[in-house]
Amino acid sequence: MNYRTFVTIQSLLMTASSMVFPFYLLLIRNIGDSYSQFGLAYGLFALTGALVHPIIGRLSDQFGDRTFILLHTWGMAGLMLIVPIIETVTALYLVQIVMGILGAVQKTSEKTVLARQSEGVQTGTKIGSYHLWTSVWGAIAVMLTGYLIDFLTIGSLFYIASFLYMIAGGLILKSVTTTSEIQEKKPVQL
Amino acid sequence: MISLYGIAFYTSTSIHSHQQQTVVVEDAGKLLPTKMKEVKSSHSTKELQKWVKQEKTISIAGMQHSQGGHTVYPYGTLLDMKRYNEILNFNPKEKTITVQSGVTWAEIQKKINPYGLSIQVMQSQNIFTVGGALSVNVHGRDIRYGSLIDTVNSFRLLKPDGEIISVSREENSEYFSYVIGGYGLFGVILDVTLHLAEDELYQHRISTMDYQEYEEHFKEKVKNDEHVKMHLARLSVAPKTFLKEMYVTDYVLAENQRKLSRYSKLNEKETVVLPKFMLGMSRYSEWGKDVFWETQKKHFQNSNGRYQSRNNVMRSDSTFMEYENANRTEVLQEYFVPVDQFASYIDDLRKVLEKEDLNLLNITIRYVEHDEDAVLSYAKDDMFALVLLINQGRSEKEIKKTEKVIQKMIDVTLDHDGSYYLPYYSYPTEKQLKRAYPRIDEFFEKKRELDPKERFKNLFYEVYSQ
Repeated sequence: MNYRTFVTIQSLLMTASSMVFPFYLLLIRNIGDSYSQFGLAYGLFALTGALVHPIIGRLSDQFGDRTFILLHTWGMAGLMLIVPIIETVTALYLVQIVMGILGAVQKTSEKTVLARQSEGVQTGTKIGSYHLWTSVWGAIAVMLTGYLIDFLTIGSLFYIASFLYMIAGGLILKSVTTTSEIQEKKPVQL
Repeated sequence: MISLYGIAFYTSTSIHSHQQQTVVVEDAGKLLPTKMKEVKSSHSTKELQKWVKQEKTISIAGMQHSQGGHTVYPYGTLLDMKRYNEILNFNPKEKTITVQSGVTWAEIQKKINPYGLSIQVMQSQNIFTVGGALSVNVHGRDIRYGSLIDTVNSFRLLKPDGEIISVSREENSEYFSYVIGGYGLFGVILDVTLHLAEDELYQHRISTMDYQEYEEHFKEKVKNDEHVKMHLARLSVAPKTFLKEMYVTDYVLAENQRKLSRYSKLNEKETVVLPKFMLGMSRYSEWGKDVFWETQKKHFQNSNGRYQSRNNVMRSDSTFMEYENANRTEVLQEYFVPVDQFASYIDDLRKVLEKEDLNLLNITIRYVEHDEDAVLSYAKDDMFALVLLINQGRSEKEIKKTEKVIQKMIDVTLDHDGSYYLPYYSYPTEKQLKRAYPRIDEFFEKKRELDPKERFKNLFYEVYSQ
């Protein structure tokens, strides 16, 4: 996986997640019948994320970034297929926990890849450009969805997001495995 | 991997599209969100007829202010009658009007007010449809015309087999007393011919009193004085005067009726910010209830002597009562108790409520005359009707909690030869239902006889008919 593929993938992820985020909140609100359930669902996500971070950090060194990004993309692609059919609060809590874990995976791998890319040279510039592109895609996605939602159902929005995650997952599968050794010899270019 | 995803994608979308085929509907009680197959509505009688023939299970709905799932049934088709709303014939000379059942009282008032006419019997608010009102056989502030059933000349009914028949006291009369107060179980009421009253000018007469004086006040100064045409009382739920203090509004025929034209313009929505705020406070604190009661009392006392047309009395505003809360809701109860048992009944009710934790926000009292025309008649005697507004949670635990108190209150009511009103949540037990409505078995038997395929169903029928 080179840097360009990485940014493309991350932009896809950002697009997908920004697209569904507001509607996902709405969904959580509607499934739970009180604000306390809403709070619990959201808190579960954050708490699971927090608790698994140390473990994921350690595992990331062991299995490599690629595996982790693979896990995140395919995991989210699958999860987005479950979200539109959730009916009970318990199912929602479970989804929130899984999402917490997958979120932590993404956060960690995103940072480790970035950290490994630059070896301390021009780190700021690289991170700057990385955030520029991913955020631009996120912003475009949110705005587009605002228009699209008049024509689409909320359910289909989750399916589109799942599809985007799937494409991102496919791109990683297609990309060649680059070990960190090779990466060191041949630093990827923007 | 891709094919695996493909399978998952297909499974998810097919489940999702299956789920989407239902729609969740709930009534004003907000305790019974129910998945239904579809909501259908139409202007056309032909179309309604077609649907009744082809749909397996149908629930009929107007404004859905019944609170016990009377307008919904799981996976049934909801027939929303609100669009079936034409005024078909208005005869000012004969003082009759024929309307489709989706017409609201407000629409009738707008039509007949210029002719100096008024509705005989309806609820205190005018937002409801005529069909819905008939199905629950409503009553209101009027004390001279009886229940709604007395004001109905005839109606047309779309039967479960799709046939349309005319129903009146003479024609197909067996349907008359079942359909009115029949909770939509016998067919779709298509159009209704109602008797109208003259619009009149009333003067408000406000009196504050102790609950023990109420019966005498009513008998002497209201019932026996034919100049009093309408009546409404309030009983305190504020801690300081709990179920003791009352104030009463009598609507007395004004001496000079020529002044009517000055007051006959229909009033539109009032500003509701203050009452809404006060009611809001009384939801959350005992102190708020005291303040609300005192302010409301003063406000009403100040309106003593005020003139108002009959039509305007019959369009009182309820928007200040609208309540949006994700966890809580407001439900109604209505208890009927014979006039001469009022004081002892209130004493017993107070004993129950002083021990229980119930967030009671308001009690209004009206009068209904003895009337057993409807099979499910609540007026087995000359009765006072107490409407209770209760704030409660929507969780199962909260429903159970309210149920316990309400069943106790109903027992007290029944012990005083009273009855309770059916359009509310199914808190009462089957035993209580039988005590309050001795003809309930006959009612359900007739339902099964006239609708053997049980095409018309709702949650009220589901809960109590077995």
